[in-house]
Amino acid sequence: MRPIRLACGVTAVMLATACAASTGTTTAPTPDAQESPGYLTVADEKLPAGGTLNLAVHIDSGAATGYDPQLADVATTWQLLSLSYETLVTIGPDFSVQPLLAEKWETPTPTEYVFHLRQGVTFSNGRAMTADDVVGSLKRLLASKSVWRGQLGPVKSVTKDGDSTVKVTLSEPYTPFLAALANVPAAVLPMKEIDDKSVDPATTLLGTGPYVVENHRQDVSWTFKKNAEYWAKEKPAADTLNITIAPEEAARIAALQNGGAAMATLGNVDSSTMLAGAKDVKVVTQATTDFYYLMLNTQAPNSKVADPKVRQAINIALDAQQIADVALGGKGKPTAITPAGLPGACDPAALPSAAKSVDEAKKLLAEAGAQNLSFTLSIFNTEPAPAVAQVIQQNLQQAGVTVKIEQMDEASWAGKVYGKAPAEFDAALSWFAGYADPGMVTKWWNPETAGFNVGFMKPDKELNTLIDAAGEQPAGAERDEALAAVCAKADADAQMIPLVTRPATVAYRTDALSPSLYATEGYGNVLRLVADARVKKSR
Amino acid sequence: MRLLMWWSGRALSSAATLLGVSVLIFAAVRMMPGGFAETVLGPFATAEQEAELAARYGLDQPVLLQYGHWLAAVGGGDFGVSMISRQPVGAELLARLPITAELTVLAVAASALFGVPLGVLTAVRARPGGGGAAGRLLSGLGVSVPEFVLGSLVVFVFSRHALGLEVGSWVPLTQDPAANLATMVLPAAVLSVFAISVTARTTRDAVMGVLVEPYVTAAVGRGESPWFIVRHHILRNAATPVVTLLGTITAYLLGGALIVEHVFNLPGVGSYIVQAVGRRDYAVVQAGVLLAAAVFIVMNVLIDLLVGVLDPRLGVLAGRRS
Repeated sequence: MRPIRLACGVTAVMLATACAASTGTTTAPTPDAQESPGYLTVADEKLPAGGTLNLAVHIDSGAATGYDPQLADVATTWQLLSLSYETLVTIGPDFSVQPLLAEKWETPTPTEYVFHLRQGVTFSNGRAMTADDVVGSLKRLLASKSVWRGQLGPVKSVTKDGDSTVKVTLSEPYTPFLAALANVPAAVLPMKEIDDKSVDPATTLLGTGPYVVENHRQDVSWTFKKNAEYWAKEKPAADTLNITIAPEEAARIAALQNGGAAMATLGNVDSSTMLAGAKDVKVVTQATTDFYYLMLNTQAPNSKVADPKVRQAINIALDAQQIADVALGGKGKPTAITPAGLPGACDPAALPSAAKSVDEAKKLLAEAGAQNLSFTLSIFNTEPAPAVAQVIQQNLQQAGVTVKIEQMDEASWAGKVYGKAPAEFDAALSWFAGYADPGMVTKWWNPETAGFNVGFMKPDKELNTLIDAAGEQPAGAERDEALAAVCAKADADAQMIPLVTRPATVAYRTDALSPSLYATEGYGNVLRLVADARVKKSR
Repeated sequence: MRLLMWWSGRALSSAATLLGVSVLIFAAVRMMPGGFAETVLGPFATAEQEAELAARYGLDQPVLLQYGHWLAAVGGGDFGVSMISRQPVGAELLARLPITAELTVLAVAASALFGVPLGVLTAVRARPGGGGAAGRLLSGLGVSVPEFVLGSLVVFVFSRHALGLEVGSWVPLTQDPAANLATMVLPAAVLSVFAISVTARTTRDAVMGVLVEPYVTAAVGRGESPWFIVRHHILRNAATPVVTLLGTITAYLLGGALIVEHVFNLPGVGSYIVQAVGRRDYAVVQAGVLLAAAVFIVMNVLIDLLVGVLDPRLGVLAGRRS
């Protein structure tokens, strides 16, 4: 009887709450609705600047490399560091490359980039940014162990030409170069202070960005103050930025509803439903180029997926649209290895595997002698990965493949997938940041470039050649064709199978904040336009 | 002399227990799946970076040597440095301890204030129709509902209907005591539901044991008032198991209310340990668990002393009779 009474009581409370919550001024969730082209919402500049902006995010920057932007390799860290650091160029709402610390640039030849630096830019300690800082930062990045070093492409030299011009020469054309320069690891650092060792970038944030760190308690909170020296005099609008780290989704939702936070990032696609009807709360879904992918381990001694026919059968049987619809609430999009949504990205419907049926998958399995294939899919327990895995399991069941889902915490998952070479898993689910150029993430399909994949993936020379060729092609129809060839080859190789894009859900209080948000984001940076946000009221 | 021997014995057994815990936790964190390198540095890290990190934190040394260095450092009050924040673990634990302590004080106070009267009431009204069944039902329910279920429910309800209280945020006591209390009441209430229930049940059992004693019957025969009997004859004699329980609950909560701190996003010791486990931040997990064990040992000593004051027959200086 006790469980029944408890269940009745809980249900009654939930119903009462839901009914009561549906009263008052309400705003329904508006995923993907664009307020103006390229923007989910645009800050109202008529509102006065100033005030304190309270945010809640799910995870802190947390790496043994500290605050050093060049060694930052995950989007959550880029997001926080981007408040204090800036790059030569940035990414616009349509993924176009736009000026930031470089006021303009020229490309006299396909391998030369000449950047004209913005005047009046200072670091937050008051020292003016110089061409030496830019040259030193890029050289430091190229000499570092940063994963971003590979994304910059074949840089031959970085030199200054006078006090306000910097020239970068590549050894061969590399189209994603500017997009790679637009991310936090390529930020301009205070090289004078780093060189004389008065500043350690691993422990101190000293950049040209709109905010200065006042306080940081790891995994608890950040407090940023307006950079009084910031070069764009009308920015940032908010004087203070408090960021609370709240790993529990329910706590972020609660803070948002009770006004403790004016804006919060949400990880669960169902959270927008939970917030439907919440007074003065608006939920928006930002499309990102990040995407989920399935790893098939061909390097294990007795790999069940070593035969390309088996991998192709698995690829054919997967229904990316169903994953997007069921596991991501219709907010993700099927993708090839060039992230869906980026200009020039391949059409996933045009991939060879997309045109084939489950019967053809069964035939391939039969040809490979793997009719009763069964394997374990290792996933981490962060939503919505378990939901994605369940749809994969059901998809593959249609082809007669039995999938056992092994769910673990992220650390255990990372140990299993990346801890040993050869890796000890059968299949694993993960996601990549998709970046801002369709050629960038394709580099991770080459384990000789992406050493983290070497434990489970064999290099494919033909694919690697195609990836490099696409990188050299200037944007246009020829590059699109080159990228399509990469997509098709990766689709057939199927050691890493791209699935669906990974949307970002953001909620904010309309009575407390007028934010700006891009409709699409390449570097997972929800806070990209936070300097524009206008605070209506704060607690 | 007997007191000295008692203290010596307790000190030795406490040191042995702590040593055992230190060995267990040191080995356990290293046996967890998912090494520090993949977790702390991420999958993009090179073998060289992993080697650098291992060298920086001494993780490239033989395990026994690592243990020896760690133990020696802890003995000197140095709990090491977090691999994530690069900050001293001891300082962070000290910064978080007041939050956990405040949560503990509130929850234990609620347990004593509500659990003890409820237990007494259900015991003295144990006859059919006396209300004892309702009390037992309530305490049974409180013991049965898991903290994460109750916590999630409270977060859900109070995020929509604040009623002057707050969930999902935390305000330091030094910054605004009233706002701090508003953020601490609900997590403390969730924690205290279990504690109140167990306290009520233990009190009830203890009181019922005392009620059948001849001195209570004699007091009734003397015509003493029920309240007088409860206060002077029952409570004191039934106090030992209740005090022991409250002390144990205090020790348990001081070690970190892991689930409640996590659900309510309170930056206490519990959430620090949970996050450190997830990130394989060895120094933090080791220090947190060792601290929890130390608190438990100290609390047990205090309970023994307090029990001796309440009932000298059971005290540390009581003679042994066979």
